[in-house]
Amino acid sequence: MSAGASPSPPSSKRPASLSATARLRGWLADRVGWADLHHALAGGTVPGGASLWHTLGSVAAGLFVLEAVTGIALATVYAPAANTAWPSVFYIQDQMTMGWFVRGLHSFGSSALIIVSGLHLLQVVLFGAYRRPREVNWMVGLAMLGLVLLFAISGYLLPWDQKGYWAKVVEATITGSAPVIGGAVQQVVQGGTAFGNLTLTHAYAFHALLLPAVFTGLLALHIYLFRRHGYTPRWSLTPEQVAARAVPAWPDQAVHNAAVGGLVLAVLALWTVVHHGAPLESPADPTSSYLARPEWYALPLFQLRMYFEGPLEIVATMIIPGVATALVFALPFLDGGRSRRPGSRPGVLGAVVVGVVALGALSAISLAKDARDPAFAKARAEEKLRTESAFALARKGIPASGDPFENDPMRRSRAVWDERCAGCHSLTGTGGDKGPDLKDYNSRAWIRGFLMEPDGPLHMGPAKLDKGMRAVDGTSDELDALTEYIYAETGAADVDQARVGRGRDLLSPKDCDTCHDFDGDGENDGPNLKGRGTQKWIAAVIADAGHGLLFGDRNKMPKFASKLTPADIADMASFVYALRAQK
Amino acid sequence: MAAEPPNARRAFLSVLAQALGAFAAALAVIPGLGFLAHPLRKQTIHGSDSPLRVANERDVKPGRPVRVTAVGPRQDAWMRLDKVTLGSLWLVRASENGPIKSFSTVCPHLGCGIDFDDKRGKFECTCHDSTFDLDGRCLGGPSPRGLDELETRIEGRDVLVRYRRFRVGSAKREPIG
Repeated sequence: MSAGASPSPPSSKRPASLSATARLRGWLADRVGWADLHHALAGGTVPGGASLWHTLGSVAAGLFVLEAVTGIALATVYAPAANTAWPSVFYIQDQMTMGWFVRGLHSFGSSALIIVSGLHLLQVVLFGAYRRPREVNWMVGLAMLGLVLLFAISGYLLPWDQKGYWAKVVEATITGSAPVIGGAVQQVVQGGTAFGNLTLTHAYAFHALLLPAVFTGLLALHIYLFRRHGYTPRWSLTPEQVAARAVPAWPDQAVHNAAVGGLVLAVLALWTVVHHGAPLESPADPTSSYLARPEWYALPLFQLRMYFEGPLEIVATMIIPGVATALVFALPFLDGGRSRRPGSRPGVLGAVVVGVVALGALSAISLAKDARDPAFAKARAEEKLRTESAFALARKGIPASGDPFENDPMRRSRAVWDERCAGCHSLTGTGGDKGPDLKDYNSRAWIRGFLMEPDGPLHMGPAKLDKGMRAVDGTSDELDALTEYIYAETGAADVDQARVGRGRDLLSPKDCDTCHDFDGDGENDGPNLKGRGTQKWIAAVIADAGHGLLFGDRNKMPKFASKLTPADIADMASFVYALRAQK
Repeated sequence: MAAEPPNARRAFLSVLAQALGAFAAALAVIPGLGFLAHPLRKQTIHGSDSPLRVANERDVKPGRPVRVTAVGPRQDAWMRLDKVTLGSLWLVRASENGPIKSFSTVCPHLGCGIDFDDKRGKFECTCHDSTFDLDGRCLGGPSPRGLDELETRIEGRDVLVRYRRFRVGSAKREPIG
């Protein structure tokens, strides 16, 4: 039977004993002709016999359907705008039942689609299935592979997280570097001269409307042309063997397709479960310096660019990929081999092997380089912490700005700091205008520096106190002991108790107790040092630093008890207390 | 080839291929349906449960209903809004120094906005002409129930209302968040 379908004749002589469903099926078949549709998709024969080699195209088509179904599901929640993209994906990932699973299938499914499409391409090359009369279908298939990559690239941006955002920034810039039309294309892709709401709406319309429409059309054309030309059997079979071993595509080849497809889907589902879905990093922060890496499929190009600097960059970003793509498209016309036997096409197969090895090697070099790089590991660890904190803050409900970090009390405290405290204090280690620099406040180094030079520029110097504290005169060991004693008062956990004891024994010999009390209720010239530097103590200083137990008459810091709420003061105290942890 | 009589092996392969196809379809379709059903299983929008200040008591004159808005926090899927207009309501005082009642402006019929007709002294739905008296009782028209009264109390001079929404189109008054 040929690939051309003959319409099934209306069956008028049907036994009356048929069941109701069978009669309904017959009724529909007469009117809709779905047997023809089934034949158009899955009919015909497989010359040379069914084979696992022939499953790849069907599996790729199945993965595309999976992407479409999961994509529609995601679209019921996803909201493409700069202040809603990350929050809505967070909602899918973290708040919806199985949301992570659907998103994981969609994200990992796109990787699977790229891999299976690539294998499909290699199988076609190996079998010589691009040769006459299949040249056009070869090019249609290549165009589809290009669209699969565009799907992946445009989809990668949509969560608007750090990795998606920064990968896109780099890609957009590369696009902009293309000659003549680059700038205009970049501006259209971005939806403007910078990244914003229109970047997302453009990417989303492209990803979820335009690409699926074009891809579906090409898929129909691809299947039509494939059914027109039929399967390409193995090159090693004689025409007699090809004819003798032929089997009907349904169900012989179909069951192979379904088995491999089912296996791929099972692996995909398992992979998704093991990884608990696709990663979602913290929201895009255009002010950060994120260590951007592309997705795995773009790594070879990323690495290739490393070898071409400055004006030569375009060789890696445009010329080499462009020439390679053109050569692959022209393959049917460049292949001068006499037959489909690999032996008669050494140039073609050699070039493909070199190309595949080069892609793999470039990826491996890039991965190995990052694996050895401690800066890379550090950046990823920092991003992991930022992501965890973004998720924890987002669970409180994301503000309309879309920035979960607005829920961070530290962020608010920083704003209060800038408004109320920064006029006198600095956090940079360069010295404040009227008060101590609080960079690394309460650390051993800060305390030791204070003891050695209380009137120094980083400590009380800018306050210009009349008869302030005198520098402690002692050996390095003695200073360490006193430092440890004060350090322990801050409530720090990592203290050396023996050294604290030595420090306590020095309070009297070094005349500290002339001006300071250490019991928590004695007022003296200097502040009472019991619990100095704890959050409670810092809060007391912010509220009223002129209290008798604190700086007393010498105090010059404003009293904030009447300017800030007790809750604000407590937040500011924890902000100042946390400065020690910052490096 | 395809014309050869069906045999048991091919019949089995046919069923197997369909079963594997069904498995693949289920993997994509079942979680997808779960997505569609998400709003059925989880409340996606939360209003405020606490009473909101909507007006000063002085501003509510006897027999002269005033329309005010309830502004408060709302959790809308992923977004937390601190001050958003949750809805509007009519404040009504029947007599001098009498208690203040409040009614949602959402018509219990099909959810249009309820207006007050000054001349006739009646509440009226702009879409389908249901009318209500100052106590919220339905006087005529298609509305299946009277206006939805909201929990109201006076604190100092502040009128505080607990704003709710109710299912429309049914005789039973059922809060929906």
